[in-house]
Amino acid sequence: MFKSIMEWVDARLPVSDLIKSQATEYPTPKNLNYWWNFGSLALFVLIVMLATGLFLAMHYKPDANLAFDSVEHIMRDVNFGWLLRYLHANGATFFFVCVYIHILRGMYYGSHRSPREILWWFGVIIFFALMGTAFMGYVLPWGQMSYWGAAVITNLVSAIPVVGEELVVWILGGFSVGDPTLNRFFVLHFLFPFVVFGLVILHMWALHAVHSNNPDGIDVHEGKDTLPFHPYYTIKDLYGVGVFLMVYLAFVFFAPNFFLEPDNYIPADPMKTPAHIVPEWYFLPFYAILRSIDFLGSFSKLAGVVAMGGAIAILFILPWLDRSPVRSFRYRPLSRQLFWVFVLDCFVLGWVGYNPADATLFDGALPLIVIGRTATAVYFSYFVGLWLVTVLKIEKPKPLPKSI
Amino acid sequence: MDLMKGTIKVAALLVLLLPQWGQASGGAALPVQEWGFKGIFGKFDEAALKRGAKVAVGVCMNCHSLKYIKFDQMRAFGLPEAEIEAMAKDSGRSRKDRMLSVMDAVSAKETYGIEPPDLSLMTKARKGYEDYAYGILTGYLTDQESADIKKAMEDGKLSETERMEVAHVLHMDPRHEDKLKEAITKLEGGGNFNKYFPGHFLAMPQPMQDGAVEYGDGTKASLEQLSRDVVTFLAWAAEPTAEQRKGMGIGVMIYLLVFTAMLYAVKRRIWAKVH
Ligand code: HEC
Ligand code: HEM
Repeated sequence: MFKSIMEWVDARLPVSDLIKSQATEYPTPKNLNYWWNFGSLALFVLIVMLATGLFLAMHYKPDANLAFDSVEHIMRDVNFGWLLRYLHANGATFFFVCVYIHILRGMYYGSHRSPREILWWFGVIIFFALMGTAFMGYVLPWGQMSYWGAAVITNLVSAIPVVGEELVVWILGGFSVGDPTLNRFFVLHFLFPFVVFGLVILHMWALHAVHSNNPDGIDVHEGKDTLPFHPYYTIKDLYGVGVFLMVYLAFVFFAPNFFLEPDNYIPADPMKTPAHIVPEWYFLPFYAILRSIDFLGSFSKLAGVVAMGGAIAILFILPWLDRSPVRSFRYRPLSRQLFWVFVLDCFVLGWVGYNPADATLFDGALPLIVIGRTATAVYFSYFVGLWLVTVLKIEKPKPLPKSI
Repeated sequence: MDLMKGTIKVAALLVLLLPQWGQASGGAALPVQEWGFKGIFGKFDEAALKRGAKVAVGVCMNCHSLKYIKFDQMRAFGLPEAEIEAMAKDSGRSRKDRMLSVMDAVSAKETYGIEPPDLSLMTKARKGYEDYAYGILTGYLTDQESADIKKAMEDGKLSETERMEVAHVLHMDPRHEDKLKEAITKLEGGGNFNKYFPGHFLAMPQPMQDGAVEYGDGTKASLEQLSRDVVTFLAWAAEPTAEQRKGMGIGVMIYLLVFTAMLYAVKRRIWAKVH
């Protein structure tokens, strides 16, 4: 019965062929390690976000007077509303955990290098879209951090020369963050994840055109070095989902507010600025870069915005900055060291971003801004350093294996 | 697994550095309490909740609201209907109503210069959570402490030892003499000093003393006991579904543990042919 239906469909639309060539029998390098799980995990979280978000949207009210109460209504009165909201709020956190690991994995094993540049670009675009989505989502509960975070970030647009001021008003739908802002952010927050989903399809298309990289970073021979995706990687990815769920759900059920600021349980109050406005943890390193440019007088703000955007946009050209004949850092000792300095530096930036801009260390002897500027310099130096080390052939790669 | 090795090293380094991660806060260190309802297996003590409800309705609701809770919801921890009825009546409401303050917002603002914040989310809405609320309730100066400060200021000057002493009582930094003096002036002007409120002066006068509420179950109503009980009640009010959440979580985690172990076994089996 099923077989004959499939035959009928396949004669008109080759569904079975697609599944076979792109999923079940899709050739995958046999030596992928667990760092390769984070792509499928990110897709899994995206689906969780779409599902929980859809049901949240059925009870949420995008109105400045009702939004905060409607989230509490979801938490208290809607059946398993607390579960929906905590899954969604913590889902954003774990989305970024997956995406950050996924990106760093690519940087380490050279997955962005030729011929995977377009695949990499789609990834960076997804990352941008994700940040926009999360930023607007955080505004929706309309707590103090929602409101003031939105105020601080939208204000950055005013740094754009000539049109900046008017652009902010256009974006906000008024002269300050308010009801029109909330309403449009809700609409865009609803829309963006579906755009992300579309981008993910393009990302997958590009992947399947050039196939996966692998920890050795060398080209593989189909057949000898590859395994059919199913059952090898379906089961490995599923196992990954199991482990991932244990971590994610431990937060959802036992520490659901760990990543949320207490201030966001205070309803938004345009008359009362919180003592210390902090963005969500996943924005902290970029927030630190933004604030570290404070020495250019009236240009500081614009320069800060450019640096912040550039910190991510520089990933677009990473495939051309790295000139080494070898992709994987497994065989590149110097690049590997640079990489770890870069990773640590991101944590330092995050810590700087978490603290108030005027904080100091050692009783005022060391202003945090100095650390912030240094860490920003180190962040960008990674990319320059990688280029120099490879273009000047300072690094001597270790010999590559013949096959994986 | 080179990337793994590096990750472990970086993680170890971060674990060492993380305790230093926190930001320097202005206020005094909070009086950290053991809360039986916290933690994965924590459960609310129903007797404490009942006592706490009595304090909340009898004391706090003279000024504050608990707008996300209806009187009737307190049946969840076994408060008898008759008692709920009586509590609601005392506040001039019925048991189906939300727990709103007896004082309206306008007159509250006239009296205190600020609308007392709604308490239904209070234990989630401040750094320090339950400990902070407990700190606020117990952080006013005792009569003894007030007297000590008065004595230190008798001659209008602060000697070195007096400065240290006053700073200790007020939980402030002894090095900032001007700040100390400012605080003392405000205190003498009748300001409400609190050890744990950021900035130390708040609009709420000390809401209760020993014996503010008469407990029906024979528990001694010391300020500490009253505070513990009402904070327990506020923690319940902040998330009445918390116990359901944790209970469900335990089941889910056990299920996931077994399920993931099975997936791992299947994965090993399938990959055995490759390795
Ligand atoms: C006499 C009126 C009054 C009573 C009674 C009262 N409060 Fe308050 N409370 C206030 C006012 C006014 C504020 C606002 C203080 C400020 O922000 O300066 C406040 C603020 C608070 C805060 C928040 C402090 C902060 O960090 O913003 C807490 C917690 C609090 N009250 C708890 C309680 C509890 C618990 C009770 C019952 C035991 C209670 N209050 C009884 C008037 C009162
Ligand atoms: C890329 C995927 C998504 C991300 C990263 C994301 C992120 C967020 C974040 C960070 C919040 C604030 C959580 C809080 O503090 O309460 C939020 C709230 C919300 N999101 Fe999303 N979201 C995504 C997808 C969606 C989708 C697809 C929908 C609707 C179809 C949706 C609907 C909502 C609603 C209604 C809220 C407000 C309720 C609440 O605050 O809990 N989200 N989102």
